[in-house]
Amino acid sequence: MSTQEETKEKTEDLSSPLFYVDRPWITIVWDDPVNLMSYVTYVFITVFNYSKERAEELMLKVHTEGRAVVSSGRREEMERDVQRLHEYGLWATLQRDDQ
Amino acid sequence: MTNESGFVRHGKNSFIATFGQSESDVLVNLAEQLVEILAERIDGQPTDPLEAMVGFTGHDSPPDDEVLLRLLPNAYADPVDSSEFRRYTESVLREKKRIHAMAIRSHLLNSENHQVALDQETAQAWLGAMNDIRLALGVRLGVDSQSHEQLELLAPDDPMRGVYAVYTWLGWLQGTLVDALLNDVEG
Repeated sequence: MSTQEETKEKTEDLSSPLFYVDRPWITIVWDDPVNLMSYVTYVFITVFNYSKERAEELMLKVHTEGRAVVSSGRREEMERDVQRLHEYGLWATLQRDDQ
Repeated sequence: MTNESGFVRHGKNSFIATFGQSESDVLVNLAEQLVEILAERIDGQPTDPLEAMVGFTGHDSPPDDEVLLRLLPNAYADPVDSSEFRRYTESVLREKKRIHAMAIRSHLLNSENHQVALDQETAQAWLGAMNDIRLALGVRLGVDSQSHEQLELLAPDDPMRGVYAVYTWLGWLQGTLVDALLNDVEG
């Protein structure tokens, strides 16, 4: 249990610039009419080591919603993910998480 | 003779396909064209003396050509971030794609009776290159989510009809290799 004062301190932390810097970056894969659905699933399994179920779920999200967040983390990590996805020919970008 | 079954898994780490002469010729030709397209981007000259000293020849602006832009896409929506990233990574990406395409070419040219046997690693090179070729053909054909019906109905004398046939065949071939690889994940 935390005291009221500690809670106040934590709330302040959330709005401080430090927290802004710590917001994660995300990798987005965009829908592409050329890439095969099974191939996109295979790439998610290979690049991210996701289970077949998770990879299929993400692939379908890309297909039906036009985009899906496929990974999140530090900027350098997301740049590596995007680079690998580009090697496989997927249309991927990274950005700061705006949620 | 034509390839009717695509890639078939043999044991744990072997994926075999046997092609007809014309199929092999088409694949070699497309792989070579892909290498040529990518080579159009190699001419970038570094403007920074330090970059020149370390042999750095990265581009920082996106390709004007639509095919190259699809093969070497922007990593950021923001143009400044995007060009910075491109400067340091595009040459690596281009080289990877060139190596993938060259793998298809050399496997086929060195094959006996146009039979290729891939392992997990070389299969990835093939998948990447087949996908890059399809992306390039897709841009030239103007493939989008609505265009498949129109492309199916191209006139017999339309030169794009042949391109579309190759595009479709390559998609099928790529699909057989993906399925063979995914079977391993399930098993």
